[in-house]
Amino acid sequence: MAMIEVKNITKAFGDLVVLNNFSVDFDQSGVTVILGPSGTGKSTLLRCINGLETVDNGDIIVDGLSVQNRHNLRDIRIKCGMVFQQTILFPHLDVLENLIISPVKILKTPRSEAIEQARELLDKVGLFNKEHSKHNELSGGEQQRIAIARAMMMNPKALLLDEITSALDPEMSTEVLKIIEKLAADGVVMLIVTHEIPFAKRIASRILFLEKGSIVSDSPTEDFFSRLKNKNQRIERFLQNIHH
Amino acid sequence: MFEQYLNLTYYDIFFFMKAIGMTLWITLVSITFGTIIGFMMGIIRCSHNKLVSAIPLIYIEPLRNSPLITQLFLTYYGLPVVANIVLDAQAAAIITLSLNTGAFFSVLVHNAIKAIPHMQWEAGYALGHGKFSNFKNIIAPQVLRLLIPGAITLYINQLQVSSFVSLISLIDLTKAGHILTLRTMRPFLIYGIVFLLYFAISYPLSKLARRLEKKVAFNF
Repeated sequence: MAMIEVKNITKAFGDLVVLNNFSVDFDQSGVTVILGPSGTGKSTLLRCINGLETVDNGDIIVDGLSVQNRHNLRDIRIKCGMVFQQTILFPHLDVLENLIISPVKILKTPRSEAIEQARELLDKVGLFNKEHSKHNELSGGEQQRIAIARAMMMNPKALLLDEITSALDPEMSTEVLKIIEKLAADGVVMLIVTHEIPFAKRIASRILFLEKGSIVSDSPTEDFFSRLKNKNQRIERFLQNIHH
Repeated sequence: MFEQYLNLTYYDIFFFMKAIGMTLWITLVSITFGTIIGFMMGIIRCSHNKLVSAIPLIYIEPLRNSPLITQLFLTYYGLPVVANIVLDAQAAAIITLSLNTGAFFSVLVHNAIKAIPHMQWEAGYALGHGKFSNFKNIIAPQVLRLLIPGAITLYINQLQVSSFVSLISLIDLTKAGHILTLRTMRPFLIYGIVFLLYFAISYPLSKLARRLEKKVAFNF
């Protein structure tokens, strides 16, 4: 059984239909990169999976739980951690408190255990020495790495990453992408919306290409970059535009 | 002037102390109730339901846009006439000041909640917090930090406007000054003392507000 089943969902904002009778499954392993032009429904898809947007029709089943049942949202969000394009640390808390607040309050993890886990994750994202820093003492890349660690604190079954490097300069971007590659190597299941094509090539096991709320191609990474890009003009044009 | 000060009797000093007690009592009780009322009204004001969010305005707007002295007279002199509710001066003062504080405090709460970026709410939800947990653990601590400096400023203001209760025969600091002035005929000295006493309470609070403002300040 797929871990995330997206079943014929439609999502519109007013008259603008962003996802149109959209279906796709995500397995319990691997990294899927979602590509496509802006405004094509990539971020909306992740937000619908996480229950941050309600779907108009259809359903999304996450590990057996329907997002249409609002009572399931807490569990779904614990199973699917999400990191956003904008870095959103809680400004009143230092780094360590940002990391432990949710496991302590939601999962009822003992504080000492949560701190231990937080320190391990901070070490993993290369920010062990920043546990008492406030968000305004961190660079954009560091904040984003903390946000990833914070999502990982809930031990999610999958991580939804929504253009997490698009607001960062190339250097900071590289820092963050390295962390993602490290997590992928550890076997963390990820759905990533990005425009970083070389990164997608390196990390993804599957590429989903969307346009106008529908899937144009859904293929293993190798196929996408070798076979498909030459056959599908739309994909070829998109990749060329990204490169330039 | 110092000699004149020495001429004040122990009774006068005791009278002043009692009056300070009354001023502080009226102010503390009314800002406590006002804060509770303000929190409730401010939270209701943030409802996504437009009708629900408009309900507190029926209470807030008249109180914010009319003089406190009028509100006080309405409660003390008006209620016995229209509703046969007779309140003693202290009850009338506390009720009026509480409602007045609540109206202003609710605006502070509403503004503070609205100042929290939507993404902060979403980040909390995305981590698995429910509505209550998100508000309690993520949003409310930020709201409180935004609220503290404005709240202290409001409390200082309410301490000062509490002097209006002297007009409904309550012996607060201002009324005590008035009475002692009539007895001693030394208005500059007596009102000077009243002025200094208000200042001695208010100034440390305003310094505290400024310190807290710096301490709890954060950018999103």
